[in-house]
Amino acid sequence: MKIVVAIKQVPERDALVRIAANGKEIEERELQWAMNEPDAYALEEALLLKEKSGAVEVIVVSAGPERVGSTIREALAKGADRAIHVVCNHLTGCDALGVARMIAAAIKPENPDLVLTGLQSEDVGMGQTGVILAELLGLPHATMILQVEVIGAGLKVKRELEEGWFQQIELPSPAVLTMQSGGNKLRYATLMGIKRAKSKELRTVNAADAGAEGSSAIVLEQIALPKKQRHTQMLQGSAKEAAAVLVEKLKTEACVL
Amino acid sequence: MEIGSVRIITSAMIAFLPTFAEPQRFFTWERGLFLVLALLSMLCFWWRFGPILAKILHSKRDPGFHFFPIGKRVRDFVWEVLLQAKVIRERPLAGIAHALVFWAFCAFALVTLNHCATLFGLGFLDPAGRVGRFYFYFAALFAAACAIGIVGLFIRRFLAKPKWLGAVSWESGLIALLIFVLMVTYLAASLVPGAGTAGQVLWWAHTLTLLAFLPVIPHTKHLHLVLSPFTVFLSRGGFAEIPPLADDEDFGLVAGKDLTQLVSLQAYSCVECGRCMEHCPANHTGKVLNPKEIVLGLRGYLNDCGPGSEEPLLGKYNSQQAVFECTTCGACEFQCPVGIEHVPMIVGLRRGAVNTGTWEDDHGAKLFLALERGSNALGISSTERDEFVEKSEFPLFDGTQEYCLWLGCMGSYDPRGRDIVLALVKVLRHLKVTFGVLHKERCTGDPVRRLGNDLLFQQLAESGLEALAQNKVKKIVSICPHCVRTIQEDWKAYGVPPEVEHHSEFLARYARQLPPVQDQKKIVFHDPCYLGRYRNVYDEPRKVAALAGELVEAPRSHERSFCCGAGGGLAFLGEEKGERVSHVRAAELAETGASVVGTACPFCNTMFRDAFAEKGESAPELMDIAQIAARGLPGSVRG
Amino acid sequence: MSVLLVLEQSGGKIKKASWEALAAAHRLAPSENITAVVIGGETEALAADAAAHSVSKVIRMEHPLLAQYTSDGFCSALQQLIQDQHPTHIVFPHTYQVRDFAPALACRMGQVLIGDVVEIEEGPRFVRQLMQGRLNGSYRHSGDGPCFVSVQAGAFRAEAREEPQRAQATIERFSPSIDAAQIRTQPGEPFRGSEQTVDLGSAQRIVGVGRGIKAVENLPMVQELATVLGAELAASRPICDNGWLPLERQVGSSGQTVAPKMYLAVGISGAIQHLVGMKGSQCIVAINKDSDAPIFEVADYGIVGDLFEVVPALTEAVKAAKE
Repeated sequence: MKIVVAIKQVPERDALVRIAANGKEIEERELQWAMNEPDAYALEEALLLKEKSGAVEVIVVSAGPERVGSTIREALAKGADRAIHVVCNHLTGCDALGVARMIAAAIKPENPDLVLTGLQSEDVGMGQTGVILAELLGLPHATMILQVEVIGAGLKVKRELEEGWFQQIELPSPAVLTMQSGGNKLRYATLMGIKRAKSKELRTVNAADAGAEGSSAIVLEQIALPKKQRHTQMLQGSAKEAAAVLVEKLKTEACVL
Repeated sequence: MEIGSVRIITSAMIAFLPTFAEPQRFFTWERGLFLVLALLSMLCFWWRFGPILAKILHSKRDPGFHFFPIGKRVRDFVWEVLLQAKVIRERPLAGIAHALVFWAFCAFALVTLNHCATLFGLGFLDPAGRVGRFYFYFAALFAAACAIGIVGLFIRRFLAKPKWLGAVSWESGLIALLIFVLMVTYLAASLVPGAGTAGQVLWWAHTLTLLAFLPVIPHTKHLHLVLSPFTVFLSRGGFAEIPPLADDEDFGLVAGKDLTQLVSLQAYSCVECGRCMEHCPANHTGKVLNPKEIVLGLRGYLNDCGPGSEEPLLGKYNSQQAVFECTTCGACEFQCPVGIEHVPMIVGLRRGAVNTGTWEDDHGAKLFLALERGSNALGISSTERDEFVEKSEFPLFDGTQEYCLWLGCMGSYDPRGRDIVLALVKVLRHLKVTFGVLHKERCTGDPVRRLGNDLLFQQLAESGLEALAQNKVKKIVSICPHCVRTIQEDWKAYGVPPEVEHHSEFLARYARQLPPVQDQKKIVFHDPCYLGRYRNVYDEPRKVAALAGELVEAPRSHERSFCCGAGGGLAFLGEEKGERVSHVRAAELAETGASVVGTACPFCNTMFRDAFAEKGESAPELMDIAQIAARGLPGSVRG
Repeated sequence: MSVLLVLEQSGGKIKKASWEALAAAHRLAPSENITAVVIGGETEALAADAAAHSVSKVIRMEHPLLAQYTSDGFCSALQQLIQDQHPTHIVFPHTYQVRDFAPALACRMGQVLIGDVVEIEEGPRFVRQLMQGRLNGSYRHSGDGPCFVSVQAGAFRAEAREEPQRAQATIERFSPSIDAAQIRTQPGEPFRGSEQTVDLGSAQRIVGVGRGIKAVENLPMVQELATVLGAELAASRPICDNGWLPLERQVGSSGQTVAPKMYLAVGISGAIQHLVGMKGSQCIVAINKDSDAPIFEVADYGIVGDLFEVVPALTEAVKAAKE
């Protein structure tokens, strides 16, 4: 069984994000990078499938500039067998379709039995790459998956629905699944993993050579700081008054009731 | 009185005492028999000792081991081995008994040599001569003391039976008997006539005991007689020092092939006295961990599998659970009289498990992932530190200030830790000492270092060193002994850290310029492990704590301080089994009757805060020494 | 400009998020230019409900294969409808279901969905959050073809039904042709997460209780509040240490890490051990008598007061709001 995991490198969760001078991008200097967390869960699921059945090859694919290499090596260190780096220096200029085209072009020759990726990225958060990938590869898909089970020639997956509901979905293999965070437990990177990863295959392909054409159906015109900043609203008055104000605010402002 | 006249008087006194009997003539068969028996004795010794020595020597070389400078080694050797200071200090009665036996052995070396030499007419100490006579009586004093000492130790072991000595073994009784016979046969020689059968019999009785004693040594824990002087002399040097990894294939103590010469030497040196166990906070509170069993587990492994083996160290011989229950408080290592370094051993086993990914623990993985992906061990967004720094109007360090104030995870994110930092800042401002904080700060890597995650620790140490170098930091002050230790000692593996100071050291220098707290109370100071045993700082925090009132001491304090339970990454590992270490210590501190508990570590502080929470209103007030220092100053500061 | 609004239903009723999407659609076009579509096996009641809202037309897209949601079925049907209607904009609520099929539908038509929109500016430019809410990005649709937009829940105030004096929207039928072979996935019946064990991790709302509660006898009061809020009860460490609540309800460094939509901290001062377990919650409310309690530093809303007064008052207020 061949599993491809598409991963993305995103700014570290704690990174200090600044808006670049052109107002359309995030300033990349001084940023630290990490693997997109939902993608880490996708990788973990692939590694668990590998550990369960043994006869599984896990290939990670990531698109982006040279810096993406460090995240790819991290994936190899955690247990992926080999990697494909789609070199692209203008990732931020591509929309979800453009990125998916690049990755699809890299995946297609591999003829995988299963493609996994995170539900969405922590930076742009479009949550579309996996679904578009399925469309481009002509494969069925399912999203927000927590668990994957291989059954005969197909798959049985557990999908998260809203408000604490779940659903089982059966679909034929090959398929594309986008993984929800928290379905399994992430493993930590180890020194041994990093050392072993050095000898694993990391193939780089040029985005243009892969035959993928870009897309700009939608354009990000401007980035700005949100107006609202989180601050504590202290509610005054008697217990009854404060309670009434709180319920109103929870309903209309926070929208959590 | 002149020295010369003293000598005359003593020798005159000795002259009246009877002479030690020494056979004048030996038969040839006696010489032959002695030679055969001596050879046999030595063979029996070597039959067991040879393989042990081979196992030690065939172990891996210790990476990063430096023999020089030798000064500290000599000092430790004199203090711990020759003067038996550690043995006596921690258990005075048993310690003195042991010291007497040890010193008697030393004094006896010359006597024994002479004893055997007389067989061949080569005796160099004449029992009738002035020097010989003096020396024989000198040794006799030790022999008498030793005989008493060994009887005392015998009673303790077989009648008092303290639990840390473990199960009673017949070998200990045999050894005690042999030593006792050695001493008695020596002393008896002064009571029999010089020439004659009695002297001859005593000579042989002494000799045979000696020859029987030799082979027993390597078969029992008395191997420490031979090994421990070397173990003490060859220690790594630093307290709880974690050695570097040797090469790309070294992941810590995974299997026998990873055991280094020092680890093997120490494993065979253990005398099973149980001091480590007696002082171990984990062992005290119902955990699996017993530091003695860790050492003996490694010894058992070496005996069965040998140093080159691929058999894992954790499993049959040592328990992974035990290894991850250690708070790295270092009490065991501090107590050990034979120079065993438990902390590097335990951390080494953790490294083996973590660096290869065999350790699976939800909380541990969460901690590692938090630091892989973020800046701090608590997994909180660093923007919260930014907001705290901004709100508190801390200046950013720009190279012009004297100190870089290192906040640490607790000082940055924990509300209580922040209060401590704010108190310290208030004092700094009062004293007009310039300081600045770093724009961005990542965890020093203390918890991951102690948990054995070398990959993560290296990343954190390197990024920390880079940040300090970029900002041209020369001097750091921090409220956290763990940060201080890690920056100063552990970061050395990856660069040259700047000078680091714990705030207790800083505040102690200015204690006189600080007003005492108005409402004076009784205060007990808790020594944090990483400030006390790790850094040898005991008086400075007390100087500051005394500003709050009358200082009282907990039953276990200074070097013997009992851990709060947070060290070694355990603050992040979730619920402990058995009793909580923090609760035991908090109760002990409360029982002193002090109304204030002084701390100097934000981790201790938070552990006790939790422990006292259950006591409700009756709990003593918890204050960091920075808060004590700030309390007398004008203006309000929280905490 | 013409808008096709895709309404989503659940259990035979149109979801609230759909009406929020309608509010967003009104930013793009007047009611006369908005067509709503209801999808399913049988849509009469849904269509009637939709027609009472300010849209000009409601399309009933019915097919036996649409009775149960599948991405393949919905994509195929909607593609046919869009090709038939030629709207300039297609607006969806940003639900799990929409996230499952809309990107594929857009892709089939050479477009990219502008998802999770929180604001619509002049242009139109669609604002969506980046970097997990730390930044906002304004997106523009470029080139030809329809523009696909999905709207974040809660970002627009849901529109109520129209007053009856206005003429109802016309209702039309649209029958797509779908072949059973097109549908590759077999969805199962939805089920609840296991009921017996406490699953704080997936709880939408949590009421956390701390030492301020003073005695175990006071817990039912907090439990009642949790019940009316539809929340799980959780606790800080001292509460579980005392055995007042089982350990599996402990939130914090030695317990569970949770990130519900709402975390209501009752009598919790906010020790770091507790904060790390719940700071990721979307909205944090704190009730504590100590105004200096660190919990207020992470809270969105705070009430300084006696919890024995505030909690019952809050329970009543929630009950009143539900009626």
